[in-house]
Amino acid sequence: MKPTLILVGADKGGVGKTTVSRALLDFFARKNVLTRSFDTENPRGTLKRFYPASAEIIDLTNVAHQMRLLDTMETANVPVTIVDLKAGNLSYALETFDRIGVLEAARAGVFNLGLFHVIGPSIASLDEIAEIANYLQGVSYVVARNFINETNFFEWDAATQRKYFAAIPKAQEIAVPKLNEMAYEQVDLAGVTFKDFIDNHASDGSPGKFSFVLRGYVRKWCSEIDEQFAHVKLAQDILTGGRAPQAAYQA
Amino acid sequence: MADKPTIYIICSDRHRNGKTLLARVLIDYLMLEGKDPFVIDANVPEGPLRAAFPGRTALVDFDQIPGQMKLFDTIMGSIGRDYVVDIPASQTEKFFTAIKELDVLQEATRRGFQFAILFIVDKELASYDNAEDLRVALAPHAVIYVRNNYVGSFAPPSSRELTIDIPPLERDIFPYIEDRYFSYRAFLLGDEAAIPPKLVNKLKAFLLAMVTGLQDIEPELSLRRLRNL
Repeated sequence: MKPTLILVGADKGGVGKTTVSRALLDFFARKNVLTRSFDTENPRGTLKRFYPASAEIIDLTNVAHQMRLLDTMETANVPVTIVDLKAGNLSYALETFDRIGVLEAARAGVFNLGLFHVIGPSIASLDEIAEIANYLQGVSYVVARNFINETNFFEWDAATQRKYFAAIPKAQEIAVPKLNEMAYEQVDLAGVTFKDFIDNHASDGSPGKFSFVLRGYVRKWCSEIDEQFAHVKLAQDILTGGRAPQAAYQA
Repeated sequence: MADKPTIYIICSDRHRNGKTLLARVLIDYLMLEGKDPFVIDANVPEGPLRAAFPGRTALVDFDQIPGQMKLFDTIMGSIGRDYVVDIPASQTEKFFTAIKELDVLQEATRRGFQFAILFIVDKELASYDNAEDLRVALAPHAVIYVRNNYVGSFAPPSSRELTIDIPPLERDIFPYIEDRYFSYRAFLLGDEAAIPPKLVNKLKAFLLAMVTGLQDIEPELSLRRLRNL
């Protein structure tokens, strides 16, 4: 099966990039799909804090690091690689990937390439979409509107939205559901994955002392976001091994 | 068979129909039976149960996450005793939504609890419909209808299911029993000083009928356990 590279990015900080990366890693873990993860926020990665054993910190400007990520795509034998791009790095990362031939390799079918673009509540975010449109041919593009910390999210003006999305024919959209602040903070403080928080495991593997109520809310949030991910074609392809669902059942 | 620790939830979709009265009598009844119930009073900010049972009651605001944590984390963290939870009408819907979303019934059952949900059915059909919906949603857990005969109730008086009746009570007694220092337990044990002599027998008859109803809860729960084995 072809490996999949998923980039998670935004052109602004604090819009929930790492949350989406973590949710994706948890989603695939729940579905028994092996993942690798890379954090481009160096030297101190946020993703790394939640996945100390597995996440690797890399610097995309460094050729050796590029190789560590890309040259292992086929040999690692792990179906999904997730890269949490540093804030404000999205256009630059795409440009870099374009320059070193990653986008071309994806178009040629060497691996599948997906981009989760996390959007914050401002019109500047839509400008980002226009900015990166040139790179998106052959990329499964998913716009993730992040509601996790927002009590009232902006309303997108339909006409403006159509204008921006016109450049990207196959964009899919997901909404990251809201999670109450206290639950979000407690998971953050504990520095564990959503799954470990739900299962009441501390970061060192010992039994946790997390609140039953907060664990329940995180579990509910995870099932909501699972539903969102399940609508994404890229995720469906990964789960079915690229075959049509029916064929997967027969196998 | 030893009794299982029980979580009593007292609720209704309507205000002012005897919830706190029922809770107070239930708590005193449990203590007379030698139980040691912990009380969770969600009637903020007044906290009538906390006023009556200050040593064994937590006051929680269920509208806030910390209040929900105080309620459910207390129960899950300290198993093996009875709990009486009094939910105001304004929070009933939110409470049962949370119960469902957080898998409370399943988790608490796993920790050895059983549930007795006492729903006071008010006089309108809508209240009865809400009770029926709750009964379906929470099955096989026991949703026991309570008819307050002073207020009136749409629930039929006798049915296959256990129904608890709150008998009508003379209005003159209200000021005495609503006093936070009044204790049904002390009264049942023979301390009648708090009640004017002419009302003593009326209150006795009232409590006797209440206690008779409450005594049916435990056998009902045992029967349900056998049925659901």
